[in-house]
Amino acid sequence: MTDRIPILTISNLTKTYPKAFEPTLKGIDLAVQRGEIFGLLGPNGAGKTTLISILCGLTHPSSGEIYLDGHSLPSALQEVKPLIGVVPQDIALYPTLSARENLLFFGAMYGLRGKELNSNISDWLERLGLSDAADRRLETFSGGMKRRVNLIASILHKPKLLILDEPTVGVDVQSRNALIDQLELLNKAGMTIIYTSHHLEEAQDFCTRVAIMDYGQIILTGKPEELIAQTNEARNLEDVFLSLTKRKPRD
Amino acid sequence: MHKLWAAIRKEGLILLRDRNGLATLFIMPVVLIFVMTLTQDNTFKSINEKGLPILVVDNDNDSLGTSIVRGLKESDLCSVTTKIDGKQATEKTAKKAVAEGKFLLGIVIPKGATEAIRSNISDIISSAMALDEEAVSAIERKTTITFFVDPVAKKTFISAVVSNVETFISEMKTKVMFQTFTDEMQSLMEDGEINNKVNNQVNPVEFSTVYASEYLNDKVPDAVQHNVPAWTIFGMFFIVIAVVGNVMREKNEGTSFRLQAMPDTYLIMMNGKIMVYVVVCFIQFLLMIALGIFVLPLLGLPSLGLGESIPAVLFLALCTAFAATGFGVMIGTASTSEQQGSMIGSLSILLMAAIGGILVPTYVMPELMRTVSLISPLNWSLQGFYTLFLKGGTFISILPNALALIIFFLLTMSISFMLNRSKKIK
Repeated sequence: MTDRIPILTISNLTKTYPKAFEPTLKGIDLAVQRGEIFGLLGPNGAGKTTLISILCGLTHPSSGEIYLDGHSLPSALQEVKPLIGVVPQDIALYPTLSARENLLFFGAMYGLRGKELNSNISDWLERLGLSDAADRRLETFSGGMKRRVNLIASILHKPKLLILDEPTVGVDVQSRNALIDQLELLNKAGMTIIYTSHHLEEAQDFCTRVAIMDYGQIILTGKPEELIAQTNEARNLEDVFLSLTKRKPRD
Repeated sequence: MHKLWAAIRKEGLILLRDRNGLATLFIMPVVLIFVMTLTQDNTFKSINEKGLPILVVDNDNDSLGTSIVRGLKESDLCSVTTKIDGKQATEKTAKKAVAEGKFLLGIVIPKGATEAIRSNISDIISSAMALDEEAVSAIERKTTITFFVDPVAKKTFISAVVSNVETFISEMKTKVMFQTFTDEMQSLMEDGEINNKVNNQVNPVEFSTVYASEYLNDKVPDAVQHNVPAWTIFGMFFIVIAVVGNVMREKNEGTSFRLQAMPDTYLIMMNGKIMVYVVVCFIQFLLMIALGIFVLPLLGLPSLGLGESIPAVLFLALCTAFAATGFGVMIGTASTSEQQGSMIGSLSILLMAAIGGILVPTYVMPELMRTVSLISPLNWSLQGFYTLFLKGGTFISILPNALALIIFFLLTMSISFMLNRSKKIK
C-alpha cells in the first residue's frame, strides 16, 4: 500500500531569504514516486539548491507542506534524516583523512558500526574501484576518485531517498560512467533518486522523469521523451530546456 | 557514545596531521614564555631584588654622603653605584650618564654638605641656649643636593628616592643635633651617659616588608611566576584560531553541509571538537608548566613555584581549556569565512589579553581599566593562577575563578547552538 504513496510530496512550498527582494521558491508543487530517478533541472539561480537544502533540513521553508515517506518536514526532521542520503555538489569529505577513515566517520554518524560498517565500506570501495587507494589520504585523489568517495559516504546507511546535487561535475568520462552505473544499480535495488545536473544529455539518459525549474517555480514536469515530443522542433532535452528557460546566460 | 568516539577520533586524526597547526599551538607559547620571561627577568629583578639603577656622586665624603649611599644601598628601592665604567663619577659625568639613559637618577652630594649642616646646627643650638633670637634667624648656610633625573623615570620612583634621601638627611641632622646638644649639655652637666642614651633612641622605628596574602607562602613575584601562567593562558586561548579554522574548513569544504543533513550531529560534532581541543589545551598547559619548572632554571631564571595545591592548579587549567575551546567554537559558528573568523578570533584574544593583565599587569593599569579587566576570561584564569602560585591559595580560593570560566564556556556553547539554529531557520 505504502508503495503507491509518493516518497516525496511538496505542496505550495515557498522560501524567502531575509533581505531578499523576492522569494527564491514561489509555490513549488511536486511529487516523487518511489523507485523513480527524478531529475531536477534548471539554470543557475532557479532554486534547485534551496529546494535540496530544505529537504535536507539545512534551512526551513517560509510556507508550504512537505511530506517525506509520510513524515512532515521540518517538524519531523530527525525522523527523516536517516531516510535520506545527500551527495553535495562540493566534495564534502576531509582531505587529510584517508578514504576509509572518511567513510568510517560518516558511517558512524549514521549509527553504523563494527562489522556491518567495515564490510559496507570495503564492498563499496571495491564496487567503485577504490580498494587499492582506500588508505591513501583523500587530498592525493583525483577529482573523479573524490566524487566516487563522496557518493559512498552518502549511501553507506542505505537511504530510501538519495539526493544528488551535481554529482558528476568535473569528472572524467570513466568516473562518470562508474557513478551512473552504480546509481542505476542502487535504483534497481529500490532506492529513489533525486538528481540535479547541468548535463542534460546525462539527465535524458539517466532520469525516468524530470522537472524543469526556473525563477523559483517548476515550469514543466514529465518523462524526458514525452517532454521532447511535446516541444516544437526539440531533438533532445537540451532543446526543451532552452526553449523554456531561453538562451540568455544566468548569474 | 559510538558517534562521539567517532567524532573525537576524526578530530584527533585531523589535528595530528595538521603539523603546521600543531607546531603553532605548541611552539608559539613556548617562544612567548622564553622571550617574555628572559626580557622581563631583569626588570623584575630590578624591581624585586636589586632595584632601579642610581648613581651617587659623593663629593661630601663625610657623614651625609656616607649616610645617603649606605641608606639607599640598604633599601630595596634601587641599586646604588658611585662609579661609571669603573671610574669615580663626577657631577659632569653623572649628568651625561643619566642623559644617556644609563641611570634613571643621579644624586650629587656637594662638598662640605655635612660640615654645613653641623655648623648650622651648632650655631642654632649655641644661639638657642644663649637665648639669642637674632642670632638664630641670622644663621643660614645652605647646601644643595642635585638630582639628575632621566625624563623616562616614573614620578613615583623619583619621589620615593627623594623622600628616602630627605629621611637620611633628617636622620643625620637629628644625630648631629643630639651630638651637638649633648656636647653642650655635657659641658653644662658633665654627664657622658646622656650621649649614649640619646644616640640609642635616635631611630626607634624600624620597617619590615611583608607580601600581603591570606595564605601562607613566601614566594616572591618574579618574571617566571608572572610570565609562565600569563603566556600559558594566552597560548591556551590561541587555540581559538585552530578551532575557528577547523569549524570554517568544515563549512568551506562542504562537510558541514553533509553533517547537518545527518541525524543528531551538531552536538556530537561540537562535543568531539571540544574534547580534542581541551586535551590539546591541557597538554599545552602541562608543557608550559614543565618548561617553567625544569627548563627556565637552566637559563639562570628562577624555577616556577606551583603553590600548595596541584589538584587546584590542574582543575583551573582544565576550566581555562574549556573556556578557550568554547570561545573558539562560538567565533567559528558566528563567522562567515576563515579569514573573518581568524581575524575576529586573534583580535579578541589580544584585546582580552591586554585588558586581562596578560600583556601588562592589572596593578599598573588606571582604575577604570582595572575594573574593565574583570570582564576578561584570561584575567579570571590569571588571577586564579596568581592566587595558587603566589599566594599559596587552595581549591576553595580559586573556585570563583573556575566557576566564572565554566559559566563562560556554557555561555559560548549556548550562543553557538542558538546561532546554528537561527542560521537554519533563515
